[in-house]
Amino acid sequence: MTSKQFRQRAQQVLLYTLVFIVAVYALFPFYWAFMTSFKTENEMFQSASYLPREPTMKNYEYVFRDNTFLDALRNSAFISAATSIFALVAGSFAAYALGRLRFRGRVALLYVVLSMTMFPAISILSGLYTIVRELGFFGTSLSLIVTYPVFSLPFTVWVLTSFFKGLPGEIEQAAIVDGATPFQTFRLILLPLTAPALVTTGLLAFVQSWNEYLFALNFTATNPSAQTVPVAIAQFSGQFSEQEPIAEIMAAAMVVTIPLVALVLIFQNRIVEGLTAGAVKG
Amino acid sequence: MTDRRLLVNALSIVMILIGALAIVFFFLTVLNDPAIQLALNWTPGDDDAAAPSLLLIFLERFGIIVSALFIGAGGFFIAIGWRLRHGHIRTAYWARILLLWLAIGIGATIALELFNILNSAAMDKEAVDWGALVNAIAPALLILLGAVALWHWLNRNIDSLFGGEDSLIGRETRLAWNLLIPTLTIFVLVAARPLEQTFIRSLTDKRFAGSAVPQFVGLENYANLLTIRVDTVTCRKSDPDDPCSTRANGSIRWESIDRELLREGYRTVANISVGNDQSVAISGLDDDFIEAIGTTVLFTIVSVALELVIGLFMAMVVNSRFRGRGAMRAIMLVPWAIPTVISARLWELMLKDTTAGIFNKILLDLQLIAAPQAWLSDPSLQIPTAIIVDVWKTAPFMALLLLAGLQVIPSDLYEAASVDGASPVRRFFSITLPLLRPAVAIALIFRTLDALRVFDLFNVLFGRQQLSMATYNFETLVSNQLDGYASAISVIIFIFISIFAFIYVRLLNVES
Repeated sequence: MTSKQFRQRAQQVLLYTLVFIVAVYALFPFYWAFMTSFKTENEMFQSASYLPREPTMKNYEYVFRDNTFLDALRNSAFISAATSIFALVAGSFAAYALGRLRFRGRVALLYVVLSMTMFPAISILSGLYTIVRELGFFGTSLSLIVTYPVFSLPFTVWVLTSFFKGLPGEIEQAAIVDGATPFQTFRLILLPLTAPALVTTGLLAFVQSWNEYLFALNFTATNPSAQTVPVAIAQFSGQFSEQEPIAEIMAAAMVVTIPLVALVLIFQNRIVEGLTAGAVKG
Repeated sequence: MTDRRLLVNALSIVMILIGALAIVFFFLTVLNDPAIQLALNWTPGDDDAAAPSLLLIFLERFGIIVSALFIGAGGFFIAIGWRLRHGHIRTAYWARILLLWLAIGIGATIALELFNILNSAAMDKEAVDWGALVNAIAPALLILLGAVALWHWLNRNIDSLFGGEDSLIGRETRLAWNLLIPTLTIFVLVAARPLEQTFIRSLTDKRFAGSAVPQFVGLENYANLLTIRVDTVTCRKSDPDDPCSTRANGSIRWESIDRELLREGYRTVANISVGNDQSVAISGLDDDFIEAIGTTVLFTIVSVALELVIGLFMAMVVNSRFRGRGAMRAIMLVPWAIPTVISARLWELMLKDTTAGIFNKILLDLQLIAAPQAWLSDPSLQIPTAIIVDVWKTAPFMALLLLAGLQVIPSDLYEAASVDGASPVRRFFSITLPLLRPAVAIALIFRTLDALRVFDLFNVLFGRQQLSMATYNFETLVSNQLDGYASAISVIIFIFISIFAFIYVRLLNVES
């Protein structure tokens, strides 16, 4: 083996070791939740074991005991999809304006958008409660679709603004010479170039909405058919009323996390495609 | 020629009228508001409750932002209408934008009204009363048709009616505002307006879900939250010649502050030893809040720093070429994908204070600890535990953002650098890091602001035992029902985080 081959082999081993470390770091708690979801309630109090001693499907049966959880899954999927689509449309519009166009008040508006992230959700909870009621959205999915942009929009706008800014200026000049309007330049040229950022921010907005708890609890609690997944899980009750139904919660966690992982896997190729599209710009 | 003049003047008058009507409409709405009416017609007598403050009710119901927007929009219509007389095309473009958004706004109002009528009919399982429905939306529908027709007409004739030069800057400014309106609408609706209400409540003694009429109390809530005093105290000694006495965990026992101060409500948050058996005691009227600020800042600094390092590491690893890279990128996101409410429970389970907790079991098996640790209830372990859980959960978020930044770095840069013989370390510091800077800056800003607002994690793991700023706010609002006081906390958190954000953004220089 030549020294060059040896170095390449060593690099390969190092890389796979690092990959392994990242995988264990990310997955161990998930593995633990997976195993817990097959454990019996009694086993929760015994010394921890890597595999369930008497594997049971009872926890999954509990999760799917009626349609509540399936309804919640459907609600969550709908609300999260609507929120991320809205965040991407409104966010890319705003980001194009803030990142590419010249007008007075640009910097001030960037701060205005950022200011949406400067208070905890609890600060606006009672104010939003009034607004949601006045709009007539209380107890419906719309209450969450309308309020979730407060989490997803600032982030989307800032990330996309920075991506738009990073693109070379000649692109637009070429397009203007070809007679394109600014909006056409945006839609046909700049937007495809930011595909990786769009996919990433869309995904993060989706996950954020999927996981949100405080608003979901307060705005949809009165209407069981509008509940989202975290609220439905929080309402599980244990076999013995006074203790937390932790194994059941973990079973539900498996059911809600797996679709998200699948979603990332599906969009994975898109991220790579976006990369090759971006590489053309040179 | 005179025809053209006439049409321009007519349009000018219509615009001014729309603006004036909008302002009048707003004033009528305020006057006819049930709550305002109730306050106007309030008579003392029946019970000896205090008179409701009209100003307070107006601010609660309408607020300054909504009023300013209505009057401002009306004023804008009037101003544009007035300037249209000159027949300049730049003004006409602005008029076109105003008409377009007027139509969209009224359209949205109609859709909302329709939704409400149909929804309440569906809820009560009644047949929809179509007559009432038509009556409710007919006036708005007429205005909508008018606005759309006017917009359409202006759109077709704008070039024949108006003259003059348009500038590139003007065109970009108009496009920019058009594109920003959806975001700004959301901003007003779900951030600015609710936050304004919080500001207003912070000046009152409002109670959560209470029936008492709230009254202004001025800055009393703020005074209570922010009063801090600094005293020097000596340590406790059983005998004047002895060294300072200590607790079981080795910390020094300090004398408490003056009795008189304790009676006034001051409680010591922290003692900072200054040698000579003396310490500086920082005390406040609301020691829980001051302690929560300290906890949150410490938590934020340590966890964001760790997340950046680990996130960058993860991003670089999954950006290299290896088999199963796609799957690995999905795996990396698993911690982020588990809802915090659930992952906090999961960690609670893993961190149990007996060998039933896997964390203790692993550490015992590796002989790193001698006995199971109480990760969640031992005060000195609580913050480190929260940091571990938070880093685990949000490092993938950092990694994903940084990965997106890494992907747009052209690979020929690295190839050129390798050909020139640059070492991997050199390439990392002179290509990767500088080009990744914008992505790093944004990830840092958002993670820092998120960490300062940490809520779910502290709420599930510690309840009231260890408070972050946001969970203290929550406890004050929900458990103690002090809406006014909780609102003051919100405002202080907001101001605190904004100062932080402003300095941060300036330092990282992302705005230019």
